Amino acid sequence: MSIFIQQIFNGLTVGGIYALIALGYTMVYGVMRLINFAHGDLCILGAFIGLTLLSSAIGSEQPGPAMLALAFVVAIIVVAVAGLVLELVAYRPLRKADRLAAVVSALGASILIENGIMLIWGPNVHVFPAGLLPQTTWYVAGAAITFVQVMIILASLVLMAALYLFVHHTRFGTAIRAAAIDQDTARLMGINVSRVIASVFIIGPALGAIGGLFIGVYYREAYFTMGWTYGLYAFIAAILGGIGNIPGAMLGGVLLGLFNAFAAGYVSSSWQDAITFGLLIAILLVRPTGLLGERVAEKV
Amino acid sequence: MNWVGAALWVLGLGIPAVVDTTWVSVAAVFAIYAITALSEDIILGRAGMFDMGHAVYLGLGAYVTAILNVAFNWPIFATMPVAIMLAAAVGALLAAPLIRLRGDYLLVATIGFNAIFVLAMQNNAAGLTGGSDGITGVDVPHLFSWELASQSAMFWLDWVVLGFVLLLMRNLDRCEFGRTLRYLKQDQLAATTLGVNARAAKTLAFAIGAGLAALAGSLFAVQLSTVGPTSFVFTESVTLFAIVIVGGQGSIPGILLGTALMFVVPQIFRNLAEYRYFVFGIAMIAVMVLRPQGLWPRRKRAA
Repeated sequence: MSIFIQQIFNGLTVGGIYALIALGYTMVYGVMRLINFAHGDLCILGAFIGLTLLSSAIGSEQPGPAMLALAFVVAIIVVAVAGLVLELVAYRPLRKADRLAAVVSALGASILIENGIMLIWGPNVHVFPAGLLPQTTWYVAGAAITFVQVMIILASLVLMAALYLFVHHTRFGTAIRAAAIDQDTARLMGINVSRVIASVFIIGPALGAIGGLFIGVYYREAYFTMGWTYGLYAFIAAILGGIGNIPGAMLGGVLLGLFNAFAAGYVSSSWQDAITFGLLIAILLVRPTGLLGERVAEKV
Repeated sequence: MNWVGAALWVLGLGIPAVVDTTWVSVAAVFAIYAITALSEDIILGRAGMFDMGHAVYLGLGAYVTAILNVAFNWPIFATMPVAIMLAAAVGALLAAPLIRLRGDYLLVATIGFNAIFVLAMQNNAAGLTGGSDGITGVDVPHLFSWELASQSAMFWLDWVVLGFVLLLMRNLDRCEFGRTLRYLKQDQLAATTLGVNARAAKTLAFAIGAGLAALAGSLFAVQLSTVGPTSFVFTESVTLFAIVIVGGQGSIPGILLGTALMFVVPQIFRNLAEYRYFVFGIAMIAVMVLRPQGLWPRRKRAA
């Protein structure tokens, strides 16, 4: 029983991270029908930027939490700018071209960012400094829950709620949803679709940077190929919930996190990826529109 | 154009006479990857199915040849038909339930197959695949009493197979099945109303593409004399996918040019290993932004 509860908390933590990253995939796919393969790498870029700031604080008299907050702010800003530049340089010129051209451009961007990280920070695994956050641990029915886990779960919930309110209860959020349903009609209604797309490339990477830095803080490590692994998981989460569907990405992330935690806890971990991809293929066969249904612009 | 291509192929036979063995092996690897890229073009460029796990079929061919040869002492040429048939069957079985899905979902599913394949090879599935070390000691091919042991002999073998595949691709352009695929890609609804069985045609295209990739895989196992899971990871599939789009969908010279750029040019810049992939990423974006239709797009000609 205590293992069961432990896995629930582990799964919720990882699921919150997946959800934060999945939102970037699903929002971009919703308005552009493009799998932004570079998104996972952008998120890990956030982890590395945070890592650099945190490592520089070691030895100085800076308090941990304040430094961590600063690391988050800088990572968010840099990654959001990188996302915007990516959109302008690699995707905007291809908006009217064959869809596959944009896919290859996205793959190129992913390779570029991943290897850019390797050139700057090197190919080794970097360890996150310890002692940044309180080492408090709570015990619930025999399961240990750490401060970091509680922080990640709460922060993901707050961010997701904020995004949900923004998309469903503001004028600009309505414009995003309108562009995701039908770009041409949205344009006729006076919505600046280019601005909507640019905003999606700021919000998605900003949330992703938080997710990436959470990965670093939670697993206490960062390496340059991490973006692919976590990016693919987050993308699977987006499909699980229904691609283009923002609450779907949140639900998909949490469910996939729980699924992975139980797969790792009860089945062999060397087959964990295979089990996750098996789940993905099963979803695609049984219910390709995801649990909450997809919401995707129909481009002709 | 066809005469120019045929003349270039004949000239290519002379490669071992002018360059040293290192470059002969680069040329052999080019031929092998060109076959694989052409087989990806059947699925992606001609049938319009987004297959981002094509390294699976290359790997299946390589593993079948390696296992049958090393563990069961089959001669290399006897393993090839088995490799082709098995990969074609696997390709058809995997694709059949998925081709009704929208392109992007097929793409993600094939990424999943690739990850599962690599894990299965690494975890030594059925005790045959040798785990992460793979299988070593693949024999050289024997043609009657003639042993194709030298690098030049292996190059000629690869080059002849490439020539055969090029002829096949040219015929595919002209035959009814090729026209069916083009029609399906342009307008599936219109094609089906004229009686085209979309599902059967697409499954067949997937099987042919997978089978040809396995043929290349057999040659790959022979060329390296060793087979391991790292040669068939997802990155390889991405490269094959990119070759078709960067070169030009459905364009034979485009695919060959793409193969040369993606597999051979990196060999030349081996010394700049660290910056290689960084530049590679920039180049992929630049080519797509400047030439979204590919470097050497398919000629439009009156049907």
